[in-house]
Amino acid sequence: MTMSSPEPSAIHADTAISVKGLWKIFGEKAGTIIDSPDAWLSRPELLEKTGCVAAVRDANFDVANGEVFVVMGLSGSGKSTLVRCMTRLIEPTAGAVLIDGEDILTASKAKLRELRRTKFSMVFQHFGLLPHRRVIDNIAYSLEVNGVKKEARHERALEVIDLVGLEGYANHFPEQLSGGMQQRVGLARALAVNPEVMFLDEPFSALDPLIRRDMQNEVKRLHRDLGKTMVFITHDLSEAMKLGDRIAIMRDGDIVQMDTPANLVMHPVDDYVADFTNDIPKSHVLTAGYLARPAHEGEAVDGTAIDAEEIVRDVIPRIVSSSGAVGVQRAGQPVGVIGKDDILHLVADDAHEGSAT
Amino acid sequence: MNALHALPAWMQKRSTLVLFVIAIWVILGSLFSGIHTLELSTATNTPATDWLRELAASIRGSRSEAPIFVYVFNPLREVIEGFIELIRALIAVPASGNVIPIIGWFGVVALVGYIVYASSNWRTSLLSMGLLTACGMLGVWTYTMDTLAMTLGAVLLSLAIAIPIGIWAGLSDRVMSFIRPVLDLAQILPTLVYLAPLALVFLIGIAAATIATMIYSIPICVRITAHAIRSLKAGPIEAAESMGSTRGQMLRKVQLPMARRTIILGINQTTLAALSFVVIAALIGAPGLGKPVIEALTIRNVGDGVVAGLAVVLLAVMLDRSTTAAVQHSGELPPEGAALITRRIGLIAGGIATLVAIYLSRFQLWAAVFPEQLVIGKYIANAADAVTEWLTSTFYFLTIGLNENFTIHVLNRIEGLLANTPWYITIIAISLIAAIIGGRFVAVLSAILLGAVVLIGLWNDAMVTLTQVLIATAIVMLIGVVMGVLAGRSHRVERALKPILDAGQTLPAFVYLVPVLALFGPSRFAAIVCGVFYATPVVVRVVADGVRGVPHDMVEAAVSSGSSTTQVVTKVQLPASKRSLLLGANQGMIFVLAVVVIGGFVGAGGLGYLVIVGQSKPELQGKGLAAGLAIVLLGVVMDRIAQAGARRNEKTPT
Repeated sequence: MTMSSPEPSAIHADTAISVKGLWKIFGEKAGTIIDSPDAWLSRPELLEKTGCVAAVRDANFDVANGEVFVVMGLSGSGKSTLVRCMTRLIEPTAGAVLIDGEDILTASKAKLRELRRTKFSMVFQHFGLLPHRRVIDNIAYSLEVNGVKKEARHERALEVIDLVGLEGYANHFPEQLSGGMQQRVGLARALAVNPEVMFLDEPFSALDPLIRRDMQNEVKRLHRDLGKTMVFITHDLSEAMKLGDRIAIMRDGDIVQMDTPANLVMHPVDDYVADFTNDIPKSHVLTAGYLARPAHEGEAVDGTAIDAEEIVRDVIPRIVSSSGAVGVQRAGQPVGVIGKDDILHLVADDAHEGSAT
Repeated sequence: MNALHALPAWMQKRSTLVLFVIAIWVILGSLFSGIHTLELSTATNTPATDWLRELAASIRGSRSEAPIFVYVFNPLREVIEGFIELIRALIAVPASGNVIPIIGWFGVVALVGYIVYASSNWRTSLLSMGLLTACGMLGVWTYTMDTLAMTLGAVLLSLAIAIPIGIWAGLSDRVMSFIRPVLDLAQILPTLVYLAPLALVFLIGIAAATIATMIYSIPICVRITAHAIRSLKAGPIEAAESMGSTRGQMLRKVQLPMARRTIILGINQTTLAALSFVVIAALIGAPGLGKPVIEALTIRNVGDGVVAGLAVVLLAVMLDRSTTAAVQHSGELPPEGAALITRRIGLIAGGIATLVAIYLSRFQLWAAVFPEQLVIGKYIANAADAVTEWLTSTFYFLTIGLNENFTIHVLNRIEGLLANTPWYITIIAISLIAAIIGGRFVAVLSAILLGAVVLIGLWNDAMVTLTQVLIATAIVMLIGVVMGVLAGRSHRVERALKPILDAGQTLPAFVYLVPVLALFGPSRFAAIVCGVFYATPVVVRVVADGVRGVPHDMVEAAVSSGSSTTQVVTKVQLPASKRSLLLGANQGMIFVLAVVVIGGFVGAGGLGYLVIVGQSKPELQGKGLAAGLAIVLLGVVMDRIAQAGARRNEKTPT
């Protein structure tokens, strides 16, 4: 296993989800493979030898409360299986998934149902709306199966309908809505139970690019307003960069790197990850803190400092239009400066890599 | 597979090998013609048929004593009979001390119209009322009501059993694998063969007819219901699971509502199957339109047969249109706003009108008994007679002449090969062909089942039937492939053919017999023509679907590399839909078999005739039962060989 920044394995108060040694092997003798050396064979070798496919191999990570944790990978990398194992839509072969300190893999059927109705919810790539129900009854479904009275669940459904911008569509049927609107219903449905954790499985992959951008902004807004912990699956690295606090990159069932967007771009662990991140303009993911350097001897520093957490792209105009270098602060403390030359170097770098691919 | 490689190169192609076997079969057949053909006159019994006759007699004798009869069959018979009689009393049979049933014709028409309106729309409702009235005008109102009552009763009972089983089989792989063989067998059993055994157990009458109908229609409904559940989109189900549904909630709130449309489609198919069977079940005492059809067939009264057959057709169209409209209606979104108000007013007004009509039909003679002045059945019967007379005399070469020529030049020759060749040569030849097409298992199975036919003592009759089935299937495939390719390639052709195909699949096979008998006279040829009429629509559908299913870019690639239309068809579309062709051949053969045996009514001889004779002559009852068994054996052999062929083409070459 190669990970650039090892995560603490102990659960502390801030941990929403803790995944430990999670395996999913499809095939008849799945259970016997994990502890054998076969488990670490490459995919084709394992398939040839045992007829099994290891979709998720020894996944370990924690997700902090309020974090947006993105799992990114190409199709077949195991990311959809991983998220389904975390909700037990697919029964994992081994491991533990602690949500709020409770291992859902050992939960009874009834307990699991209760958790699904109250603690976590999921948004699907193809929406998974019930075609025979109106929008409002789709959204109220989990409340309904949890025995909430019709009036109360409709009241709550109308609240989330407003929240996701579906006003006036409560009595429509899914087929009367566009794809983007349907996924808003999917989001509203997942929000209806006021869950602690939301799992989003490639929620925007089936949408047109423009709608997709709108929906990404919608998710950013919802996350800012509601602060839900999110596990977000995608095959689109720019989407991952845009939304994720941290990103785990998967290949053939392994998590090959797990880090912040900026670290992934600056320090890819191998060529596989570098192949993805090369296309990402660094100015789009790096924060000002990354670029900050100590001021040169006698360098003129401009008055208004920028925050270290801001994305470089967003502060370029301010740096370019200032008279000298610009100071960078983290929590009020100065951490360094960024000058026009630094910006030029970064943009030139991006342009070079863009043309190389 | 490996055995093939041992053969010389020219024999490695299966089709060549089959032709080679057939050639040797023909040569040996003509050398030893007439020896060991096991021919048997109709009146002669064999040890096996004697045994079956005694078995039947002992079953009859134990009806009042044996526990299985006293505690199972007899009560079952009474319950079912009671249920059907209830519906008949409502619409068909005069109540005691009265001349009309509880609801007279006017009330029935209004009630049917209202039910159809409530389940679909007013246009279909008007059509249904018109069709029912037309049945009255044909002068067969009471027969029509009997058929409707039998069909409704059998459908309700079938649905009550089939939908739960279908749902269960849809949810559980174990249940499905358990009932699949039963469903498969039910699909290949020709309708004619259940009649005699059921009549033996439940007596000739309504109960036996209803149970026979249910046995026919339940598998159809189970299959479609299970398919409805199995083919649901996985997304919403996964989503519902992720939201914490229990299994019951999943079924009630997600799976059943989503499967509703397909399940209603299953009701449509079940209803049409039940109707077609109720007509045939007249042979074992089902009341209704089947009776006049059978009478007309036995005494060759074309006019009356056409009138009764026409009523069956009208009823079939009504049941099909109304249930199809209900399928469409169930897929539509519920009305809103003004449309909702209009619909509610329509339902209330229609309800009141229906109640008034029912009231009138109980107290006004014109609304109670179908008015004599409106009946035009006699004119239609006379016209049909006159047209038949004119057709057969004017177009002799197309009717009786065609029959004679075909019989002498084609039918007799092939029958000669199958029926006059020593039986062991034929069995070896068929088993070899089975081996080439389907492998060792199918070959051994064929040999055993055909051997059983020999043991039963009905080999020669079985070969007579097989001849007709093979010829009819060949004709069906010829027509079916040509029309199927045309329909698959052109939407215009498809649209033009659709009503004909729909009609072909909707109409009970029995009603074809009347016009065919009129045109060609009682003969084996008539049975073949019936089989062709009945089976062609299915084959056209399957082939057209196959051709349309060929990926568009495959065809485009062929066109862009300069293929002519013929080349596209023969080199791309047909080879790519080979599986559909084989499936079509299999389906066609099974459909043909079902009808050819009914052809026993119109002089086709063979096993079908023995089944029918066994029904009317007690001393031949054993032979009738044996013939039914032989039909099943023959059907299984043909089905297995064809299925094996289709399955082999499913596998991609490695």
